[in-house]
Amino acid sequence: MKKKNQLKVSRRTVMKGALAAGAMMSAASIPSKLFAGEFNIPDPLKPLPTDGGNLRWIDTGDMKGVFWNKLFPEYAASRGITIEYDGLPWKEINKLIPLAVRNGTVQDVFQIPLNMDPGVAVSEGWVQPWDDYIPNLQEWLAGFPGGVYLPGVNQFGGKTYGICLTANKRTGTCLLYSKKYMTEAGYDPEAGRMTYSEIRDAAKKITKNGNGQYYGWIIGGNQVNRWEDVVHTFGQVAGAHSGRGGYTNRHISFKTGKFQIASDQYMEAVELLLQLKSDGSAFPGVMSMNAPQARALMPQGAAGMIFQGPWCIGVWAKDAPNWEYGIASEPVPDGKEAQPLYIAEGGSNTFWLSKDSKMGPFAGDLMHFMGTEQGQIYWAQTVGAADPAVNPTAVAKAGLTGQSAKALSMFNENLLVGPNPIVRNKDVGLVAAKTRIPDPSLALVIQGLYTGQIKDVEKALKDCNQRYEDELDRAVEEARAEGANVTRDDWVFPNWDLYSNYGADKYSEL
Amino acid sequence: MNRKTLFQQIYDARWCYIFVFPCLVITSLFVLYPIGMSWYFSLLDWTGFTKDAKFIGFQNYIEAVNDEFFWNAFFRSFIFMFGTVPVKIILGFIIAVFLNNQVLKLAPFFRTIIFMPVVTAIAIIGIVMTFVFSPFNGPANKFLMGMNITSGPIDFLGDPNTVLPTVMGVYVWKWLGITMMYWLAALQTVPQDVYDAAKIDGAQGFKLWFHIILPIVLPFAIVIVLVEAVGALNVFPLIETMTAGGPFFSSEVMEVYIFRTAFVTDSGTMPRLGYACAAGVFWGVAVLFITVLQGIWIRKTRRL
Repeated sequence: MKKKNQLKVSRRTVMKGALAAGAMMSAASIPSKLFAGEFNIPDPLKPLPTDGGNLRWIDTGDMKGVFWNKLFPEYAASRGITIEYDGLPWKEINKLIPLAVRNGTVQDVFQIPLNMDPGVAVSEGWVQPWDDYIPNLQEWLAGFPGGVYLPGVNQFGGKTYGICLTANKRTGTCLLYSKKYMTEAGYDPEAGRMTYSEIRDAAKKITKNGNGQYYGWIIGGNQVNRWEDVVHTFGQVAGAHSGRGGYTNRHISFKTGKFQIASDQYMEAVELLLQLKSDGSAFPGVMSMNAPQARALMPQGAAGMIFQGPWCIGVWAKDAPNWEYGIASEPVPDGKEAQPLYIAEGGSNTFWLSKDSKMGPFAGDLMHFMGTEQGQIYWAQTVGAADPAVNPTAVAKAGLTGQSAKALSMFNENLLVGPNPIVRNKDVGLVAAKTRIPDPSLALVIQGLYTGQIKDVEKALKDCNQRYEDELDRAVEEARAEGANVTRDDWVFPNWDLYSNYGADKYSEL
Repeated sequence: MNRKTLFQQIYDARWCYIFVFPCLVITSLFVLYPIGMSWYFSLLDWTGFTKDAKFIGFQNYIEAVNDEFFWNAFFRSFIFMFGTVPVKIILGFIIAVFLNNQVLKLAPFFRTIIFMPVVTAIAIIGIVMTFVFSPFNGPANKFLMGMNITSGPIDFLGDPNTVLPTVMGVYVWKWLGITMMYWLAALQTVPQDVYDAAKIDGAQGFKLWFHIILPIVLPFAIVIVLVEAVGALNVFPLIETMTAGGPFFSSEVMEVYIFRTAFVTDSGTMPRLGYACAAGVFWGVAVLFITVLQGIWIRKTRRL
């Protein structure tokens, strides 16, 4: 008997088909640029080992991850090695790296925990210098702008331990907004910096227009550092001149050497956040979402405004290429002029080489390439303003357009290099290693004020300020007891001109 | 009669010791050693990062008992325990009574449904529940608003007033199946004769359960309470994935407090492994104390 031809579709076939279709759909949603083999990787300057190997690399991901995922396969193929890359948020890096160092499984190239003093990583033997691995190191370092490589920051004992490929000239609290909602509310942030009243009014109007479908403003409120970042930066813009970065810089006025947490400017910034909530303009549920979740809701039309960093640009370009949004500087209190923001000298995203790494020649070769003008141009073209390349010439040549170019221009306008106590006295690093951020931290205090668990703004900020003062005093005393030559006067820079960069000449005047 | 020396006694029982040895090694490595080291670390001022650990005696313990956040977390753990254990015990018992009924043909199906969350990874449940309770398009809020029970979304996990009850509810749902199984095991020890005799004597409904069945399963109940109480004090993965102790410590129980101080947190503070160990030892002793009290209670109940 002749068998009938039957179309048999097994579950496995269906699954395969679905997977293939999914893969094609995913591929179609990614810009074709990501598939291009576009890197012109030069031959190594020094002979590399020929026995291959696996280079393990970990950092905080985001747009860095997008770039590395493009470059690493091509680089690995050109050198006959494999590269294993992990991009994790800071919260995970902070936990994972110390454990990995302790049990001997740390990646070849890594970032040290956020609040760890680099000097501690060196003295504890976590890392080794790059000097033997980066060809023509001194010549290569000379290609970077001044102030990126500094003793006590990334150089120790005359050797270079930390490599910075990116600048820290950016803020994480820009006003990012839906053009549609903002226009409907009658505001145009591009026309000039918005005031607190305007932000509040715009948020109210957007919420009213949304009629329960969307709201004026959103924040990733369960990621507590977002609260502190907003208040800190807004406070600075309002005139609470202070440093940025780690505990021994952040919130400290270098005119007085004192914390600014209880300043009127900080209180006004907190009040603005509380008013956005009491007006009903805040997206409901901000306390149960983190920053990436809040960011992802913006293109979905859930809110009109968010205070976040330029890293949103790349993410939105990929996830919501047709969504129209704008980027503007942080708002300013009514009747006040915006003041400069200050960054510490040095770069950002410092990469360290594990002490036990056998892949130093390859990591050094790769770093060398990334530090060249061409490498920096490649970086700038992919990462844009999210993590600006440290070489300004390369950034200019990268031909950035759109929101990335706008963000970079905004940062150039708003940011100055401020004093850095650790550059003045490397023993400040020993203080940093001794500090413990008081509990509750400023970030948590603001979160508590927002949820209503803390009622009195002024008292809460004054108490918090005192805790920070006491803790710095304690850390200084502890460092001094262990031989550090440091006093609170190291945080006072009498020659600090608020409206110009604080460079090497200023340090030499002290 | 000559008494055997200790060595002779050990030699005679050598096979017992040989068989116990692997277990002893594993217990020493993974239980005794970490406990011993945590006691030692609790006496150090040490971040866990560096080699320069400093011996500071009981300073960490003194600091912990003077820290209001430590005590808040401490008592919140007990609020969690007292809020969940009775609900689980009573609800688990009621469900077990129904599902123990041989007449109910779908009993295995319902048992499976109720038990399913138990075998699901707790971290997965924690993450999924953050979506379920999300105020933005979360099914819980959609249901409440759809039924006109609430006019607007509730931020279950972001509101300090609702966060702990919400997590407690999820905990009860997640582990109810295991409590039900304990009760089913207990109920199945009651011989059918007892039911039959009770019925002949006219005991039914509440009287049957309260005066006849419950006294029989009471010793089991005590053990179930003990197991459940200790379980409710170990809720780290659920709380860490759902709220990480927030907002502003509203759901921070002791384990989350210990974790927060042992590792770097969002706010970027340096970890304090020594201090965290002191808090952990203190907490361990407290839990041990409760367990001992319950053990005494079990013994007394058995004598009744």
